[in-house]
Amino acid sequence: MAAGPYNYSYIFKYIIIGDMGVGKSCLLHQFTEKKFMADCPHTIGVEFGTRIIEVSGQKIKLQIWDTAGQERFRAVTRSYYRGAAGALMVYDITRRSTYNHLSSWLTDARNLTNPNTVIFLIGNKSDLEAQRDVTYEEAKQFADENECSAKTGDNVEDAFLDTAKKIYQNIQDGSLDLNAAESGVQHKPATPRNPLNTDQTPSKEGCAC
Amino acid sequence: MFVKDGTYAKHLFDTEASIKMVDKEPIDVSSSGSQTTNPLSRKLNKILESRLDNDKDMLEALKALSTFFSENSLRTRRNLRSDIERRSLAINEDFIEAFQSVKEQLDSVYDDVKSMNECCQDMTNRLKVAKEQTHDLINQTTKLQNESQALQMKAQVADVFLEKFQLKPDEVKSLRGTRDGTLHEKFFQSLERVKQIHNDCKVLLRTNQQTAGISIFMQSVVFSLEIMESMALHQESAYERLYRWTQNECRTLTADAPDVSFVLCQAIEALQDRPVLFRYSLDEFGTARRTAVVRGLIDALTRGGPGGTPRPIELHSHDPLRYVGDMLAWLHQATASEKEHLQSLLKRCSANDEQIQDVLGHITEGVCRPFKVRVEQVLVSEQDAVTLYKLHNLLMFYHNTIGQIVCKEAALLATIREIQNLSHRMFFNSLNCNATKLLDKVELPPGDLGPTESLNKTLQLLRDVLACQEASVVAFDDKKQDFKQILSCVVDPLLQMCSVSASRLNSTDMAAYMINCIYLMQTTLSLYEFTDTRLEMLQAQMDAHIDTLVSEQASFVLNRANLAQVYGTIQQHQPKQGALSSIQGMDSQTVKTAMTKFDSYLASPDTLILPQCSLILSGRVRDSVKKNSVELICEAYKHMFEAINKPANEYKDPQSIVPRTPDQVVKLLS
Ligand SMILES: Nc1nc2c(ncn2[C@@H]2O[C@H](COP(=O)(O)OP(=O)(O)OP(=O)(O)O)[C@@H](O)[C@H]2O)c(=O)[nH]1
Ligand SMILES: [Mg+2]
Repeated sequence: MAAGPYNYSYIFKYIIIGDMGVGKSCLLHQFTEKKFMADCPHTIGVEFGTRIIEVSGQKIKLQIWDTAGQERFRAVTRSYYRGAAGALMVYDITRRSTYNHLSSWLTDARNLTNPNTVIFLIGNKSDLEAQRDVTYEEAKQFADENECSAKTGDNVEDAFLDTAKKIYQNIQDGSLDLNAAESGVQHKPATPRNPLNTDQTPSKEGCAC
Repeated sequence: MFVKDGTYAKHLFDTEASIKMVDKEPIDVSSSGSQTTNPLSRKLNKILESRLDNDKDMLEALKALSTFFSENSLRTRRNLRSDIERRSLAINEDFIEAFQSVKEQLDSVYDDVKSMNECCQDMTNRLKVAKEQTHDLINQTTKLQNESQALQMKAQVADVFLEKFQLKPDEVKSLRGTRDGTLHEKFFQSLERVKQIHNDCKVLLRTNQQTAGISIFMQSVVFSLEIMESMALHQESAYERLYRWTQNECRTLTADAPDVSFVLCQAIEALQDRPVLFRYSLDEFGTARRTAVVRGLIDALTRGGPGGTPRPIELHSHDPLRYVGDMLAWLHQATASEKEHLQSLLKRCSANDEQIQDVLGHITEGVCRPFKVRVEQVLVSEQDAVTLYKLHNLLMFYHNTIGQIVCKEAALLATIREIQNLSHRMFFNSLNCNATKLLDKVELPPGDLGPTESLNKTLQLLRDVLACQEASVVAFDDKKQDFKQILSCVVDPLLQMCSVSASRLNSTDMAAYMINCIYLMQTTLSLYEFTDTRLEMLQAQMDAHIDTLVSEQASFVLNRANLAQVYGTIQQHQPKQGALSSIQGMDSQTVKTAMTKFDSYLASPDTLILPQCSLILSGRVRDSVKKNSVELICEAYKHMFEAINKPANEYKDPQSIVPRTPDQVVKLLS
């Protein structure tokens, strides 16, 4: 109890992007609540959810921003790319058009996030094999991808975890600079500081000069 | 041994006798029953029946006998009896001798016992005396013992009491704190104890009132009050210390992601008992976070991400929508994160939503100014109505979005509302400006009586504005309200402009021009919701112009056939003026000539269409003008036909003047 779920040492910010109706909100819901929302309304603007996960023994809090896929919200949702450490780009394997639009989503993601943002491709609705419109092999050629189903929960966990692992790896090998603002990662020193020792400021955190 | 000796001797005799008999003659035991009366034979039988080997006494006697009867001779046999008697005597003498000493010893024992008894008696007496003497002492001792037991009990109770109602030294120490100022688990435990003791004392006071006698009651009241006082002192200093610590701890939480430690959560939880200190601590936290959020915003605005990507928000200040949108999205995310931090700080507290909202409001208050200044600058320098309207919608959207995280009273929301009001004003300002410009320099209608450029431009603006309203996500009511205002801001001045621009035209041109202008406005508006009343109003105006055009067209035809004069005279003719044919210009010949001309019109009606009618953009309107004017003409013809055929008007051969019936004319023209 004492450790509690709040004791995490990193916060990673994610965004989920992709055409409307591909199941972004369902994926988020499945990941945070472990439930499938059958009749999920279109997202208005952005919504967000959190969950604490563990990577290499480190507790990490994921702060996930689910964006609206409808075109009219593009202007709004674009503002949420900045400062994301991970971007989950989702298409619907039963609708080819959502796959065809990926390049435009990718362009946005590349232009609007920072260079270290981990972009992860997800083909959703893998439970609807009979209606498949994009083959796994084809998508695999486009990018290293992960097929999952927000309905059955298959692979959903992995999609979020693998992205976190990659980000964590970037931190470990130093390619992700925690000192920089808007890196999408916030670090909380795990060792308790001595509260009255004001002479040593933790070097990990924002030197805003 | 003495007793046995007797029997021993008797056996000896018996044995001797039996031996004698054995010596004399063997007796046939079973020989005859008559012998049973004979004592001798009875004796013999008895002897014979006795079983020697079973009679231990006999065996012993024989054994003893064999020790001294060694020689079996007559003499010895004769002397045996005296020998035995002698031996018996000797034995008895021995016995007496031995018993004599026993007796002597017994006598001495008796003496001893007697003296002992005397001794005991003496002792008993002395003890009795002693007991009598110590009786008081014993009583006293017992009393003291009881007292001591009672006291021990009390001591135990006192110990338990102290255990329960007093702090242990290490607890006191932990409350005083460590040199380096850190807080430990023990501190909270001790603080909890202090609280517990204080409460217990209160309970004690209350229960004592009910149960204890007055003196005990007074005593424990004093006790409880004393303890309570000392606990209160402990508590005060501990809370003071806890508050200082918390305050200091909170002050350091200015990083992007504050490290809300477990101890801090505990401290905040403990401070709940002191609402003022609790409040102050939360304020301190709020102030630290407020600083952090302001710094975060300024960083995002001016520094951007690592290596400049994402680029600083201010780099997009030339693109108002993106600039303002990025700022709002940043604020939205920061607000959500801050709420999370706050919730994690208060996770152990029963803090209500109101308190959370209060602090959150405080945290997000700092960014209001830098945000407001920037957005105001954008709004004030922006001229384009569409951009202004988009900004307005964006602000509305975020007011709604951020309003789901913070409460209505929060300064941030108020700021957004303020800016939103400004954007609203600026937007309508811009629309009005446009309107004023329209009326300032009115263009002349072009030769084709089509729309002027400014009409087209303004309608395009309207379309753009309405389009971005379609795309925005604002409440239905707000939309409707805005729509009305936008329409009256755009359409009214447009109509005005058209009227002014048409004012120098003749009525036919004016009608056609106005019909065209209104038609364009209608087609633009009809695509959107909430425009019904507007469209109705426009239609009414249009109808008026259509009426004008219809009568112009009809009179044009009649004029061309020279029938205008004829028709006018017929309409004004009174019977008292006499027959119609007698009136000047109404003679048969003149009317006939005109009717012939009219007939040629009937042959090809399209030759007599006003050029203005052809310039009408809407086919539907064009048709209806044509149809209505034909109806008018038919009506006029019918009128004239009836007048000419009227005998009172004295036309000879009216058939030759108006050869066609009105029905025929209608058929020809439709
Ligand atoms: N069979 C199946 N249906 C799914 C799955 N994921 C989502 N759906 C359905 O797809 C529809 C759209 O899902 P959403 O999560 O609302 O889609 P979205 O991407 O958030 O849409 P926007 O918010 O408009 O951008 C919903 O009716 C879901 O029930 C899945 O894995 N399998
Ligand atoms: Mg959604």
